[in-house]
Amino acid sequence: MKFVLALLVSFPLLAQQATQTAPDASASSPTPTGSEWFTGSIDLGYRFTSIGGDNDVYRSVVNLGQGPRLLGLDFTIVDPKKRLFDRLNVRAYNWGGDPYNTVHLDAGKQGIYNFNFDYRDLAYFNLLPSFADPLLGTGVVLDEDSYFARRRMSDFNLDLLPGHHIMPYLAYGRDSGEGTGITTFYSDVNQYPIADQTFDKTDNFRGGVRLEFNRFHVTLEQGGTTLRDDQDAYNSTTNYGNNLQPYFGQTLSLSGLDQAYGIRGSSIYTKAMFTASPVSWLDVSGQFLYSEPQTNVNYTQYDTGNLVLQSAILFYTGEQALGFAAGKQPHTTGNVGFQLRPFKRVRILESWMTDRMHTAAAGQFADTLVQSSAGTLLTDSMVTPLASLLALNFNQEQVDVLLDVTHKLTLHGGYRYTWGDAETGDALVAGPGQESSQMRQQTGIGGVNFRATQKLSANVDFEGTASDSAYFRTSLYNYQRMRARARYQLTNTLSLQAILTLLNNQNPLTGINYSFLSRQNSLSAAWTPSKRISILGEYTRSTLYSNIDYLEPETLGSETSLYRDNAHSATSLVDIALPGYNKLVPRLAFGGSLFISSGSRPTTFYQPMVRLLVPLHKNIAWKSEYRYYGYGEIFYQYEGFRAHLMQTGLTISR
Amino acid sequence: MLNNRVLPLLLLCWPAGAQTPAAPAAPALPSSAATYVGSETCQPCHEDIYNAFLKSPHNLINKEKWRNWATRACESCHGPGSKHADSAEASAIINPAKLAPEESSRVCLKCHLNQPTHIGRIESSHAKNEVACTACHSVHAHGPNGLVPRKMAAINEQCAGCHTEIWAQFQRPYKHRLPEGAMSCVDCHNPHGSIFMANTQAYAANETGCLRCHGNLRGPFTFEHAPVRLEGCGACHEPHGSANPRMLIRAEVRYLCLECHANLPNTAAAVKNPPALGGVPPAFHDLYSPQFQNCTVCHMKIHGSYVNGELLR
Repeated sequence: MKFVLALLVSFPLLAQQATQTAPDASASSPTPTGSEWFTGSIDLGYRFTSIGGDNDVYRSVVNLGQGPRLLGLDFTIVDPKKRLFDRLNVRAYNWGGDPYNTVHLDAGKQGIYNFNFDYRDLAYFNLLPSFADPLLGTGVVLDEDSYFARRRMSDFNLDLLPGHHIMPYLAYGRDSGEGTGITTFYSDVNQYPIADQTFDKTDNFRGGVRLEFNRFHVTLEQGGTTLRDDQDAYNSTTNYGNNLQPYFGQTLSLSGLDQAYGIRGSSIYTKAMFTASPVSWLDVSGQFLYSEPQTNVNYTQYDTGNLVLQSAILFYTGEQALGFAAGKQPHTTGNVGFQLRPFKRVRILESWMTDRMHTAAAGQFADTLVQSSAGTLLTDSMVTPLASLLALNFNQEQVDVLLDVTHKLTLHGGYRYTWGDAETGDALVAGPGQESSQMRQQTGIGGVNFRATQKLSANVDFEGTASDSAYFRTSLYNYQRMRARARYQLTNTLSLQAILTLLNNQNPLTGINYSFLSRQNSLSAAWTPSKRISILGEYTRSTLYSNIDYLEPETLGSETSLYRDNAHSATSLVDIALPGYNKLVPRLAFGGSLFISSGSRPTTFYQPMVRLLVPLHKNIAWKSEYRYYGYGEIFYQYEGFRAHLMQTGLTISR
Repeated sequence: MLNNRVLPLLLLCWPAGAQTPAAPAAPALPSSAATYVGSETCQPCHEDIYNAFLKSPHNLINKEKWRNWATRACESCHGPGSKHADSAEASAIINPAKLAPEESSRVCLKCHLNQPTHIGRIESSHAKNEVACTACHSVHAHGPNGLVPRKMAAINEQCAGCHTEIWAQFQRPYKHRLPEGAMSCVDCHNPHGSIFMANTQAYAANETGCLRCHGNLRGPFTFEHAPVRLEGCGACHEPHGSANPRMLIRAEVRYLCLECHANLPNTAAAVKNPPALGGVPPAFHDLYSPQFQNCTVCHMKIHGSYVNGELLR
């Protein structure tokens, strides 16, 4: 706590957010003025890193590396003759080895088209020794459940005839991922950490037309996706797995494995949406959404070693498994709502929604075991049919009434009824393999919005729900949810905001006894004491308390799962314009964020930073930034790291 | 298909509105005597705004005949300006910035209501909480960001201005990459409203928006893990940020699983009063052994499996 207070004092005021950047040359929007046809900026630099502690955890949490970088590129081209486009905007950030590369392009010609393209290439590294290493206590770390993957997302959108009554549009998106990692090959009694390689891509094609008129609008869209998902796991050395205990006197091992999933999928989907205002006191909207994804999978598995079929205590040295399956998931969603304004001060909002999904899948799995030393086939192919279903029917009806008591005060009340049922399990055999459940909730809604002056406003939202049944033990059952927010502009230079959120959920049913309470209290301030200085700060105190009974699997004795998370979070940014020269004004910014928690996983995470921008010329500035990342966990101290990052470079603008 | 039947009906229902633009609803006037004077009348006194507006996407209104606002862009929001032009009094013209949020938004909705953006507006918590359009949009603005921030960092900054408690969650170590500028709030949420929980975006019509970037978890799987479909990714993950690896809502995986998987098998009596979903694991799961303390070591296909009902492969 002392440390928290010390940090709070060290940041003159807690800031709104760490990402808020000083209004330097690179952050300002290049606005075309006069006859300038090209405006923009480029931000080039070099980052130095010094990392102490667990480098794998650093890469899992931060993952910024050393080297030259294109930190930002942002330009606008205005074509005065408006040939191919009126204006073209391009933004690109974090290229040259950083894990978060982004590019965005907008182009348009008034009344003819709007085009935009978005591309992101995100690298995910995840290797946390404490997460999934069963042998960690013995000092053996097999990096289980770790991966290094990249996900790339591309989106192209072309809107034709914007501003006209009839606007066709086309869009294409691709989401792909590839990577390597350590997964587990499960065999009876033992599991073997093995290398795996994955590649998947989803292509999404869609097109439609928007019809926009004064009193109504309709959008019709038809789309489809294709999926390719290949997963391969392999092993070619003797692998003793997680269970080092002999099983009936024999040491189990895996000496060879080739496991492959070939998944292919597709879907069609349809969207039909409308809004209408047939009369001045009524707005209506609705949508019909339908999708039908389906997949086909071919699975092959060849493994060798000293393995066991536990149900028959049958040791074997080779196994061949083949599987195939197909699944389909028709999914329909419908919604209709209206806003009625019968009197000047009253608004009635009514909305109904239904969501129906039915997954059905079937296939076959064949498994053959051999004892290679004797050259014998231990089992004929054991063929298992695969079949399952998951059906969901969800419905919701809600009515809200908003009453403008005065120009400054609005009251809000409402009622929501939510109901549904779900069924899941084996589609072939009724009985213990199948489960079903229902959900019934009645919710009362209330709220106040008070706008005392332009400088002071406050609003409170509340909803309380009573349930007859819920799908899961941890689902929302009897709960109260509240959010209150107040904003006050104390002076012309200082404004304050306070937020309080609360969620209290109780499920008193025997054997569950779920008690959940989550609170988040936040205070933020924005202060500009002079033209040269601005200070933003934010502090959030959050607490989470959860108790729920569960059954210990071995004895079926009742136990309680406890989870606590008590956290302090703060962010700040102080921006100072230093004395200038020749109309060039250097800027200094400092701040950052901290996170300190106690409870079930006590953690500290500090991210302070200092940034200096020195203009060298009206179009060139030297920018340097220092960041520190400090991460620590009390229960897993070996996972801590401390990283110093120094970045320096030039910002060139036009 | 429903759209084949209903949509033609809808189109037929408003034929007049379709081809003959109705006169726009006149905004409340400070005085009934006020008349339209045209945008150029505004220029001499409000030159900065006028010049900026010429580069704004909203300048389209000055050329638009659809709603009869051509040459009257300023008055399309501020109402007829003759009285104000004569008297130069602020009270003689509508200032949307000083209206109550609902009245202010109605000014925008005169043109923007019947657009696809506003599907879900009736269900939107922003609308119900009296968040006016101008809370996020700068009506006179121009430049590459147009009327609203477009850069991801700027979008996040704007949302965090009101949702500070959410932004605090992004300061935790395991989170989506918003603070790094690789994502923005609107990648997952639709600020104009959505029929889905927490104004979340949908993917491919009505599938969860998470699948836009996590397409490999889409399925349909031969064996689904029910909470993924029934309660969404948030049943196990805290999308804004967590102190727990993989953004899980519990510090240890076994508790996350056992909190649901603690029901005795269904019995005949349960048919009338179905219990919660999630049966207790078989007795060989010795939780004192590290081998069984992280369920996903064996049940690695936890989001759904194509070939194994226990999600083991």
